Amino acid sequence: MMRRIGKRLLWAVFVIWATVSLAFVVNNVLPSDPARMVAGPQARPKEVEKVRAQLGLNKPLYEQYGIFLRRLVHVGPTSPEANDPVHGSCAALGLLHFDLGTSYQQRRPVITILAERLPRTLLLAVVAVLLQVLFGVSTGTLAAAKKRTWLDHGTVTATLIGISAPTFVLGLILQYVFAHRLRWLPLDGYGLTAGEHLVSVVLPALTLGIFGAAYYTRLVRDELLGIEGQDHVRTARAKGLSSFRVWTHHLLRNALAPLVTVVGLDLGALVGGAIVTETLFRWPGIGALSVTALLDRDGPVILGTVLLASTSVVLSNLLVDASYALLDPRVRRGR
Amino acid sequence: MNFLDPRAKGRFLRHRGARVGLVLVGLIVVFAVVAPLFAGQDPLHSDFAAGATVDGLPAAPSGVHWLGTDRLYRDVFARLAYGARISLLVGVVATVIATIIGAAVGIVAGYYEGSDGVRIPWVSVTGLVLGLVTLVLGHPQAAMILVFVSAAIGLAGVLQSIEPLRAGPRLDADTALMRLVDVGLSFPFLLLVMALGAALDKTSVTTIFLTLGLTGWLGTARIVRAKTLQVRNLEFVLAARALGRPTLAILLRHILPNVAGPLVVLATASVAQMILAESALSYLGAGIAPPTPTWGHMLYEGQDNYTAAPWLLAAPAISILVTVLGFNLVGEGLRDALDPRAQ
Amino acid sequence: MRLASFADIRTLDPAVTSDALAAEALELMFAGLVDFDAQGKVAPDLAERFEVSPDGTDYRFVLRAGLVFHDGSPLTADDVKRSIERSLAPDTPNSFASFYDRIAGFEDFTTGKAPHLDGVTVGGRFVVSIRLREPDATFLSALAMHSLRPVCPSAGDKYDPTWLPCGAGPFKLVAGNWDRGRSLLLLRHDGYHRPGEPYLDAVQWSYGMNGVTQRFKLEAGELDGTRELSLADTARFMRDPRWKALGDYDSARSISAEGMNVEMPPFDNVEVRRAVANALDRDQYRLLRAANLEALTRVLSRSFRDEDPAFPGQKHDLAAALEHMARAGFPYDPTTGQGGYPKTIVYVVYKQGLIELTGQLLQQQLARIGLRVELKVVSYSTYLSLTKRRGTTTMAPEGWQEDFPDASDFFDPLFASSAINDEDSNNTSFYRNPVLDELLVRGRKELDPATRKRMYDEADAMVCADAPWALTYAYRSWTLHQPYVRGFVPHPVWSEYVAKSWLDRAATAVASRSGVLRDVRYAAGGAPP
Repeated sequence: MMRRIGKRLLWAVFVIWATVSLAFVVNNVLPSDPARMVAGPQARPKEVEKVRAQLGLNKPLYEQYGIFLRRLVHVGPTSPEANDPVHGSCAALGLLHFDLGTSYQQRRPVITILAERLPRTLLLAVVAVLLQVLFGVSTGTLAAAKKRTWLDHGTVTATLIGISAPTFVLGLILQYVFAHRLRWLPLDGYGLTAGEHLVSVVLPALTLGIFGAAYYTRLVRDELLGIEGQDHVRTARAKGLSSFRVWTHHLLRNALAPLVTVVGLDLGALVGGAIVTETLFRWPGIGALSVTALLDRDGPVILGTVLLASTSVVLSNLLVDASYALLDPRVRRGR
Repeated sequence: MNFLDPRAKGRFLRHRGARVGLVLVGLIVVFAVVAPLFAGQDPLHSDFAAGATVDGLPAAPSGVHWLGTDRLYRDVFARLAYGARISLLVGVVATVIATIIGAAVGIVAGYYEGSDGVRIPWVSVTGLVLGLVTLVLGHPQAAMILVFVSAAIGLAGVLQSIEPLRAGPRLDADTALMRLVDVGLSFPFLLLVMALGAALDKTSVTTIFLTLGLTGWLGTARIVRAKTLQVRNLEFVLAARALGRPTLAILLRHILPNVAGPLVVLATASVAQMILAESALSYLGAGIAPPTPTWGHMLYEGQDNYTAAPWLLAAPAISILVTVLGFNLVGEGLRDALDPRAQ
Repeated sequence: MRLASFADIRTLDPAVTSDALAAEALELMFAGLVDFDAQGKVAPDLAERFEVSPDGTDYRFVLRAGLVFHDGSPLTADDVKRSIERSLAPDTPNSFASFYDRIAGFEDFTTGKAPHLDGVTVGGRFVVSIRLREPDATFLSALAMHSLRPVCPSAGDKYDPTWLPCGAGPFKLVAGNWDRGRSLLLLRHDGYHRPGEPYLDAVQWSYGMNGVTQRFKLEAGELDGTRELSLADTARFMRDPRWKALGDYDSARSISAEGMNVEMPPFDNVEVRRAVANALDRDQYRLLRAANLEALTRVLSRSFRDEDPAFPGQKHDLAAALEHMARAGFPYDPTTGQGGYPKTIVYVVYKQGLIELTGQLLQQQLARIGLRVELKVVSYSTYLSLTKRRGTTTMAPEGWQEDFPDASDFFDPLFASSAINDEDSNNTSFYRNPVLDELLVRGRKELDPATRKRMYDEADAMVCADAPWALTYAYRSWTLHQPYVRGFVPHPVWSEYVAKSWLDRAATAVASRSGVLRDVRYAAGGAPP
């Protein structure tokens, strides 16, 4: 058991390393000049050369790669100053330092930028997934309970439309109706106060959530319909349990496993940032950051977001697999 | 759940959703084939006379331009019609590429799951890791030497069966492929698209096929693998193995037909996904080069002024929705037909 | 005063900044020895007066008495020298350092050989002298820019990215008032040297705000001005006389053109280039964003000089274009579609709304003279790499935004052969004309304004005739302010220059009570008033 966990963890580290390294190579092979992007299109070549030297872009690739990995985790003084030339961009946990470098464009430590943006993406992700789960479970259960009725058919049709509509168009429509015409919600952005954050997250979360909600509804409905015919359910019914108890205790719990899987994977993927939604709603999260970093060729930030995203995906995969293993025996015991 | 079950066809045709889906897809195909012929207007021609208002805004739907004009005063209906061809083509071809790769990977991975695989000598593994560390510490030449030497020693050990040199952890095809899939899934899509675009240099339709095909097989591989895990323990597969049939024959003649069911369902859903992905690509700036009209590009162009000119957004959006819905319905029907338990 | 913008600013250190949006805030935070006045001429600001030697190499600035930085410390000549050296130091990533390369000792100082900049000398508390190694007509204009403006003693003499920007301008930044990517709040500097100014108590920017949101907030009274209205909104506001009166145009400080690489076929043939310049229908280009674009027929747009209709710039003339094509050896017959240039020309374009549209328009227009163009869409960073490398790009959209208001800024970096570089050329046409080069060198040194104007007109005519660029349009922003904003006059050099504006509180109350704003809002929203 421990061996298996150990193996999975090792592989997880390998996948993360491979992804980040691949991103490093690809980013450096693309034809463009980060120094020019920092200096601006109108700067004279001498100035661009100066910027290039300052950013360390003149060094050979393997050296840049080496520096990046070396600084990723290293040991250093406990509380470095912000303008310390060596450790200024590190996040320090005692003697242990984590350093993702300094953004070319923003001239700030990448860790600081990520730390700023992560809570916003998390807020969006959590709200979206919450909406998806609530809607998916309730509607899916209802549809399965009342299968073959108009409610069921209507739900199935609606979910099909939900997964067929382009996210970006849905977002625009929601934006138009609720922000433009009715002016109930802000058009885009994040707001300045906590209250504004909550109000601003509604539209993007809805946009992200519609596809997921439709998908979850179908998933829950399919699972429930699949389980319904099984023995233990018929037994429960025969025992005279109320329909409600049948549904919640026997059916839902069994249907939970695939739902948990999907929720876990979704959350993991969303931490990387939902690019299109964040761009559309100017949500200052990781997704929008990765897009601007890519377009500006801001290497440290690109690698930072890739590291974050791949770690999140890999970890969530691990956790989901682990929880699936845990859920299974318990469910069996519960029968 | 045999794909070749004759009753499946009947179930499919009786399925209401599937029928609606077929109609929708059929409509779009007809539209794509026929509409460009009688569209009347050139989708690439800017009509400064009748297509623009005095302020420079695009013209609303009128007798001349049935669905109005776009930002460059070109007829939207004509562009929609030509765009249909491209969207369908992209959807189908990219799906074919992605499905073939995904099926191949998934079947191989699923079949070899849990198998012993090959042994990677510890010598080589340690050499590789040490080489990486040396590289990171700034000595590329030393790193290269380390890697080559350890690889050579390991290879020699394997070829000559020298026991201490060839001992090592095992790596099977399944683990290798699935880890590859993991890397693919966690790699940023946009970076990959940019890389492919730069490598392939032209943003032609072929580039888009390849881009979408090469990124779309990952999910298929996972699902096919899961199905293969179920299928490989069926009687006739075990029998074929016992009889000593070559692996390739087993994979193609026994496994493939049995995973074909979910594969076909996945493929139809995939066409839908590819059409959506093409629009995302255009939105992110990596789609087919203008002025070729694609629905995705029309969406992107339409978003700036959608309040003043909603038809610019509505036309491609509805087209995409209808097409994608149609394919999804067909996929639904196929799935229900092949797996009546879920009805 | 509350303003907003869609974009974000990266840094507020005057020595380092390179984006136009930050310049708006910088102008309010940092005052300089000289600045541009309301007519766009260089006038003393922190300096009480200045003198230029007759040979144009010595500049002497006398500072005002009682100048005070935001943190209260006095501003003396030593601070001026320290700030200049900080800005030009070898470790400072200053994109504009080369503008000042005529200062004596520049070379040694910027390469680290000398610890101080010899050309800048302090003569007592209030006198700063700057010596140039040769006369430079652009020097005063360059000095009036933000790069060398005095910074507080807290900035030290070395660049430090964590420094809180602090200067001597009318508004100051207090710690905590810059919420990166979200908002910037500048407070009134009570020690500002102009008595009574600034009139406003504070200026606040909100970043990352959509143009449509800005319009909503403007209508609701939550924003005091906007420059980023969408195409449809601008059209609607301009059609309404009440709103139109509240709007102002910036001067056109940027030019756009179709750039042709004169080293690559077919544009190595000057006749083909002239054909392109004649083939472009600039009015069609203009229509794409009619409120903000004006057709451009010569390099130096209206911001510098009065319109001279007799100037032989580039004009739309299809017949002449076909004539040029024939002379080039690629005659084209529009009725049959035969002839023209046989190969396809690859046009590298990047993702930006207007540029993508003009690229497609160009395709259609050039097809009329037998040139087939194919678009290649890349990201902006790739576009920069491709266009600046020799022998890579045949044709691409080009443009230039004025670094500082001087004619040389539009020629030296773009059309002089000294700007050519194999890997990273600002002269993306790789255009080489010794006559023009010599003219530009003389123009840089010529101190008599009338002679200078003649020289740059000549340069302009040369470039228009040789057509390494086919000029298309110039962009002007249109700013809309609330009716209660007073004293706002568009500055010829600085955007959103609000240092002399104030808000008429009484008028605000009156406006909302009388319903003027509400009426206008309805009209803007499309419902019948």
